[in-house]
Amino acid sequence: METKAVLDIQGYTKSYGGDKKAADNVCLSVEAGDIYGFIGHNGAGKSTTIRAVVGVLDFTEGEIYIDGHSVKDDSMACKQITAYIPDNPDLYENLTGIQYLNFIADVFNIDEATRQQRIAKYGDMFEITEALGDLISSYSHGMKQKVAIISALIHEPKLMVLDEPFVGLDPKASFTLKQIMHEMCENGAAVFFSTHVLDVAEKLCNKIAIIKQGKIIATGTMEELTKGASLEEVFLEVEDEK
Amino acid sequence: MRSKYIVLLRTLLKSSSLWHVRKYSKDKKKRAKSVGGFIGLAMLYLMVFAYSFFGCWGFAAMEMTDVIPMMCALTISMIAFIFTFIKTNGYLLNFKEYDMLMALPFTPKDVAACKFGYMYLKTLPWYLCVSLPMMVAYGIFAGAGFLVYPVWLILAFFVPVIPMLAASFLGFVIAKASSGFKKKNIVQTLLTVIIVLVALFSRYIIEAIIRHNQVENVVEQARNAMTQAGRIYLPAGWFANAVIAAGKLQLRWISNSLLLVGGTVLLFEVVFLFVGKNYRQINSALKSHAAKSNYKVSGMKKRSVLNAIAFKEWRRLTASTTYFVNGAMGEILAAILGVAVLIVGLDRVIAIVTQNAPIPQGILNPAIPLILYFCIGMMATTACSPSLEGKNYWIVQSLPITKKTLYQGKMLFQMYLAVPFMVFGIICMGISAHVGILELVLYLVLGVVLCAFSTTWGCVCGIKYMRLDWDNEVEVIKQGTAVMIYLFPNMFVTMGLVVLVVWLGTVVNPTIVVLALIAIAVILSALCYNRVMRFAKK
Repeated sequence: METKAVLDIQGYTKSYGGDKKAADNVCLSVEAGDIYGFIGHNGAGKSTTIRAVVGVLDFTEGEIYIDGHSVKDDSMACKQITAYIPDNPDLYENLTGIQYLNFIADVFNIDEATRQQRIAKYGDMFEITEALGDLISSYSHGMKQKVAIISALIHEPKLMVLDEPFVGLDPKASFTLKQIMHEMCENGAAVFFSTHVLDVAEKLCNKIAIIKQGKIIATGTMEELTKGASLEEVFLEVEDEK
Repeated sequence: MRSKYIVLLRTLLKSSSLWHVRKYSKDKKKRAKSVGGFIGLAMLYLMVFAYSFFGCWGFAAMEMTDVIPMMCALTISMIAFIFTFIKTNGYLLNFKEYDMLMALPFTPKDVAACKFGYMYLKTLPWYLCVSLPMMVAYGIFAGAGFLVYPVWLILAFFVPVIPMLAASFLGFVIAKASSGFKKKNIVQTLLTVIIVLVALFSRYIIEAIIRHNQVENVVEQARNAMTQAGRIYLPAGWFANAVIAAGKLQLRWISNSLLLVGGTVLLFEVVFLFVGKNYRQINSALKSHAAKSNYKVSGMKKRSVLNAIAFKEWRRLTASTTYFVNGAMGEILAAILGVAVLIVGLDRVIAIVTQNAPIPQGILNPAIPLILYFCIGMMATTACSPSLEGKNYWIVQSLPITKKTLYQGKMLFQMYLAVPFMVFGIICMGISAHVGILELVLYLVLGVVLCAFSTTWGCVCGIKYMRLDWDNEVEVIKQGTAVMIYLFPNMFVTMGLVVLVVWLGTVVNPTIVVLALIAIAVILSALCYNRVMRFAKK
């Protein structure tokens, strides 16, 4: 079944064999131009959902479509148009930053001129160009996060999935990332990210889903959800209610 | 797709290359360490090279030159199988950058095959260090024709692949089977230990099957065993037949070479067809943990700081299949040896191990603690536990404990682990060998002191060559400089000591020999402990 949404999650359920389900009948839809925030407590099921979306985690129940392609049946087509930034990016520490970015560009088959232009652009934006010749093992957490973000942007994805992207970033880099997210969405891409920082979600996102114990307990546009109140108030209220 | 495969393989190799670190790191210490790593590795390669060559010389002296090709294939196959099997979890499965790679446009089969290729290329120098000197020795001593060299050289690249594929497949099957259990880690560790033990004892199992109790001389027995093994394990037979035929310029070498190369390619495709289909499911299961979420705080137990550190080390050991199989295998072997000796008798076990060599009864008694130490001292957790702190090192660094306490806790754990098995083994062997009470007590003292030596020597190596920036724990558990430096001298010295003690026992009073050994081990342990304490002050 094909849909027009960039990301369409239908009844996704994941159990790790314990008594509880990590994700239970999760349904949500991210359309082109959306900056979609995914919020919930620690262990609520955010990362489990995100890892399934990007094709890392196996699942048996439900379906996930990216731009109409099934993650289960056509994962390669999905990965070609998706970028994923995990919360704690495990990059190859003994490569230099530029070698890592070149590796990703090779994998996405990006021509030399384009990759050079994009690496220079994003490198300058995140103020990391000068450090790209150093080994990643010498980078701070924030610098690694910046390299991971540049590697995600290098192939101009249709869908960018981020797990806690603002952790470890300096204020300027956070601002740059938000700016890039807006630019991407203006150009018809979509962003789906998890965060604990409700202020950021409130200012940045046009849509929100709240997950609790694996179940989506509230979803909709920011206006529909907040109705004039703050996102923090709404979050605490629905968390207590359900 | 093929170029993507090469890009990934190249990146994986670069990411673990010492040369790469030396070239790009701005940290002088790191660069010096990488050069040290090169030199250390080169020395080890040289040792293996020399050992293989002189081993073949021995074969030639016994007029067994014709079995060298089979010996080469069987040795490499055995090493490749065991090492690959132990490394499957960590290299092929459940590795650190799994999320990053799987989110990129690679198929699961591509990722698994690349990881396998990476593991093959990383271990290839070791296999070549065994194979090439054997080739040279065979060429010289058998007076083989020129064709033997290119044929051997090419096929040497294929010989380790089939056992590596078999080991990987087995590792995948175990991971898949255990992934269905809630306590998957325990199931996986248990199955892995069983397979490693079977592989280690396979020589005796095969010999028991094919020997039929015939009485022959040792040389003839070895030749027959080799021929029989080649019939059971066909790829070794194909290699040996191809090489021998090439040496005699017989065309048979072509068919045997094709069988080896074709069989390797076919098996590769079959294994990775299966692996590709199950890769995501197995990794998903291995990387996730079932949560009960029903814990209630009750019955907390207070421990001393040293015991708390030792307990932390115990949890670390049992949490990782790779660590457990490497760190506790010696203790398991010692326990098996003890039980085996109790059941079948010490003399029978010695006869099996030495292939019925004429050893007078009781002559080996003074070496009992050393025989057990050969198993238990094979690996000390202290050699890799400092490095295993890895990125979690900040936890102990930020706690109000001194380095001295931390190292003492690590050493205490190794003693907790080793001493009970050493005592058990010595008592079992002592009972079977009918040794007197005084001798038994002396053996026990020597055993415990040897455990102390292995613990402290391991700790010296572990601290001196501590490496925290690893990506995969296999890098410090199996391939770390600390472990290598601990392992090789320890093993060779122990083997030498067994021979020396047995010989000395025939010349002077064995009790004096044991007492002398106790004194030496105490002094060495004290020196190593002192060194650890000096490290702690830095």
